[in-house]
Amino acid sequence: MISELYEFKKYLNKESIFFCFSGPVSQELLVEIGAILKQKIKLEDAGNSTAIRVFSMVVEQAQNIIHYSAEKCPKQYPSKTGEEISIGIIAVGYENGHYFVLSGNMIEEEKVSRLQNKLTGLQKMNKAELKKHYKEQRKKGPDYGSRGAGLGFIDMAKKASQPLEFDFKKIDEKFSFFSSKTVI
Amino acid sequence: MENLIIEATKCTPSVKFDAAHHTLGISGESYPENISEFYDPVFDWLKRYLGGLPEHQSVTANIDIIYFNSNTSKVLTDFFRMLEKSAAQGRQVVVNWCYDKENDIALEHGKDFREDAVALEFNLVQTSGRI
Repeated sequence: MISELYEFKKYLNKESIFFCFSGPVSQELLVEIGAILKQKIKLEDAGNSTAIRVFSMVVEQAQNIIHYSAEKCPKQYPSKTGEEISIGIIAVGYENGHYFVLSGNMIEEEKVSRLQNKLTGLQKMNKAELKKHYKEQRKKGPDYGSRGAGLGFIDMAKKASQPLEFDFKKIDEKFSFFSSKTVI
Repeated sequence: MENLIIEATKCTPSVKFDAAHHTLGISGESYPENISEFYDPVFDWLKRYLGGLPEHQSVTANIDIIYFNSNTSKVLTDFFRMLEKSAAQGRQVVVNWCYDKENDIALEHGKDFREDAVALEFNLVQTSGRI
């Protein structure tokens, strides 16, 4: 691998990716990734509004990994302490005048069709429909839930300049790898 | 009733709820990993406060959040709904939604909340130089 690390960097450059993380994701890591991304984007004079948009996509994607990734460390679950860390990939790039955020994690096979339907539905909505859908969803239910209200993807679709892109790659009987791309 | 004061962290806002002066302040950023762990005590306090509020008392909420995640958006919806109930019972509830002039997302969110919270006097207040 040591001889290929530069090739890997060149590959990221070719794909217009300037930030890439693969491994265990925590809230603390997210805070620091967010800070360095905001700093970088502000240095590029992209404006505070763009920096907040990119940051918001990274937050939603990273928290999706934290809450829903099917790949955990340690592999033997439950661990002795009961703690576990979710594993995933986050990448941020800039191409054709737009920042974009890529995210990937393993998910359980039985969750694929539901997520696929949800995202396909969002792809078809225009901005006005997304806004209406977002408002309806956040009014639902008396409690705001402990993990997520399911608003993350709608929020990203609202803030994105292009429809969400996604992909599911079947790994084996139990798992698929879920990838998504949002363009700011 | 005691006040509720929570200091800000990098991913949770500062909360300053003052029962004597009837001001509810939330400011900073909000994207905690566990949304209910942070907001449950805030809502517990709010329920007790609004439950004991005299009939014609006026209340002012100053919301100044630079960034919040989608789960917090749900929390804020519930927060405004509680204030609306209180307003429907005859109290005057004023919301000052502060946004930086360069933060169009915060302005957009403010407009969205204002559209739905018709029972509240909902002001959009522009500030500058904070992000």
